[in-house]
Amino acid sequence: MTSLSSAVALPSSCRARPAGGSRRARMVVTAAASSPKLPNGRRLRVAVVGGGPAGGAAAEALAKGGVETVLIERKMDNCKPCGGAIPLCMVSEFDLPLDLVDRKVRKMKMISPSNVAVDIGRTLAPHEYIGMVRREVLDAYLRSRAQSAGAEVVNGLFLRYEAPKEPNGSYVVHYNHYDSSSSNGKIGGEKRSFEVDAIVGADGANSRVAKDMGAGDYEYAIAFQERVKIPDDKMVYYEERAEMYVGDDVSPDFYGWVFPKCDHVAVGTGTVTHKADIKKFQAATRLRAKDKIEGGKIIRVEAHPIPEHPRPKRVSGRVTLVGDAAGYVTKCSGEGIYFAAKSGRMCAEAIVAGSANGTRMVEESDLRKYLAEFDRLYWPTYKVLDILQKVFYRSNAAREAFVEMCADDYVQKMTFDSYLYKRVVPGNPLDDIKLAVNTIGSLVRATALRREMEKVTL
Amino acid sequence: MAMATSTFSPRPATLNKPLRAGIQLHLIPFPHLRAGRLVCATAAGEAPPVEVEQRDEAEPAPAAASNGAAVKAEAPAAKTEPPPAPAPVPAFRDDRWVNGTWDLTKFDKGGVVDWDAVIDAEARRRKWLEDYPEATNTDEAVVFDTSIIPWWAWMKRFHLPEAEKLNGRAAMVGFFMAYFVDSLTGVGLVDQMGNFFCKTLLFVAVAGVLLIRKNEDIESLKKLIDETTFYDKQWQATWQDDSTAGPKN
Repeated sequence: MTSLSSAVALPSSCRARPAGGSRRARMVVTAAASSPKLPNGRRLRVAVVGGGPAGGAAAEALAKGGVETVLIERKMDNCKPCGGAIPLCMVSEFDLPLDLVDRKVRKMKMISPSNVAVDIGRTLAPHEYIGMVRREVLDAYLRSRAQSAGAEVVNGLFLRYEAPKEPNGSYVVHYNHYDSSSSNGKIGGEKRSFEVDAIVGADGANSRVAKDMGAGDYEYAIAFQERVKIPDDKMVYYEERAEMYVGDDVSPDFYGWVFPKCDHVAVGTGTVTHKADIKKFQAATRLRAKDKIEGGKIIRVEAHPIPEHPRPKRVSGRVTLVGDAAGYVTKCSGEGIYFAAKSGRMCAEAIVAGSANGTRMVEESDLRKYLAEFDRLYWPTYKVLDILQKVFYRSNAAREAFVEMCADDYVQKMTFDSYLYKRVVPGNPLDDIKLAVNTIGSLVRATALRREMEKVTL
Repeated sequence: MAMATSTFSPRPATLNKPLRAGIQLHLIPFPHLRAGRLVCATAAGEAPPVEVEQRDEAEPAPAAASNGAAVKAEAPAAKTEPPPAPAPVPAFRDDRWVNGTWDLTKFDKGGVVDWDAVIDAEARRRKWLEDYPEATNTDEAVVFDTSIIPWWAWMKRFHLPEAEKLNGRAAMVGFFMAYFVDSLTGVGLVDQMGNFFCKTLLFVAVAGVLLIRKNEDIESLKKLIDETTFYDKQWQATWQDDSTAGPKN
């Protein structure tokens, strides 16, 4: 399974390859001899809608590959509501400068419904951490890199696109152009349009590109978060520590969290099935962390949908989706930043390869190659997290067992390995069997206690 | 093993038990519960008898001793409507709960630890915290791990009665079926066991008794099978459509 990690490294080598007629890239993308060379030697034009991690990474990879790229973003200083956690591999794969990372979380506390607290992070090596970033900082950085690579970054609101009339025709993108003086993305705007050969929809959970292409809907969770500025002495506790609270009071199908940000903490929770009760869940989360955030001031309240699974359709003609717009958020942890950036980059690389560095037209099959590669690379990760969510977020009993399991060193090592490096590595089989036995034991005990709990009347 | 099945059967999404913290003011028998507990604790050092009768008398005691006072870390000009201020909730207290774990010396019964009492105490604690969630405390972190209770204690208490029940059912069904088949075909018990069809029936009967304890279990099993493949189907949805024709719209 270590081949997965080497496969992760391959796209950068893919980028460095020189242009040529039709040559085989490692991703087995061949510029089809049938796809025509673009007329008048013009380059392929692609619109990337949305300037978050997915859009920024896609635009950069496209521009580097010789494709004429336009990145449309509606709000250049957008503070997207987000947990803001990025895995270690993202820092290295995307060459992120370390000053982007506000905090390095090395300790996590998992807290069960009955407040059993387990510290995880003992098994981390000194150089390993979970990076906490501010989205406005990260997004702006990736966009600026795309711009330096040659992409045109436009401040505007995507309205809709029109499909081409004939097979190799152009898409027409309509958007509201905001001039640089009104960069908050709200005021006015002048309707403009331009023609492109392909569209990459990176506009997030409420994607308009997805709507236009009929991609279908997904179930989504609502994540609700309050940013709380707590006194300095309380902030010391959260210096390198994040907390996760599980319990029916905090969320029936997700978890509540306290994540440290640059100079404040984010306290939040989320749910798929009981969205109307989100405020109650938030109050419960605050209650559980009460002593540790007491005296804090709420500086911001924010909420955002989080997709639970990919949209039924992720490509249609020469329009495709990446990131949250496609629905690439894992279950159990709700992680999306890395997969957004990675999918953006992989999609761009597929377009670059399929168009022979921007000289030929791309087709839907080239975009499907990106989907196939992404699914192949990350399906094990998504499936494992789905199983974990189904088994351990079911009920308070299961959550108690979950927290109990997290105390085990082997579990911690496996969890962090798979999170930080995005590879599902099967460990030592004997340890796996022991882990399976311990898991079943924990679940059985917790369920047995649950039965006893039902008999108790307080 | 007897419990494993029910773990995996999907729970109905009846999350309508409200946040107990404070909303059910009238159900908190605060002073009475405390009094009762003190009395019994001193008497026998064991889990006090639960009090059910005094629920209608509501006398929210001053929040002095509890940590549930409704002080929220909120700015005065709250952007969200403040949650209903919870009434003082009684914190979980038990003589045998020391430093975030159960003090096993307090569960002494004739020289050995009374594991049944530990299980009862932990069940009660979890129930309490489920109904009245508490703030976590870094100074008094809860570190109790249920694996400290030996496996045979769990087995004796939970598995054995269930196993007895299931074996009893299997025996009754088995005896009747053996008699029935014998009366119909004249094949005796020993010869029945040698027959492939009978062995298959036996296997089905055993599996049925193990997996299906209540009528609802049949539905749960069907739903479970769907659940395991649902996520896969969602991921493969984009490969289902055959149309590589022009895009929509």
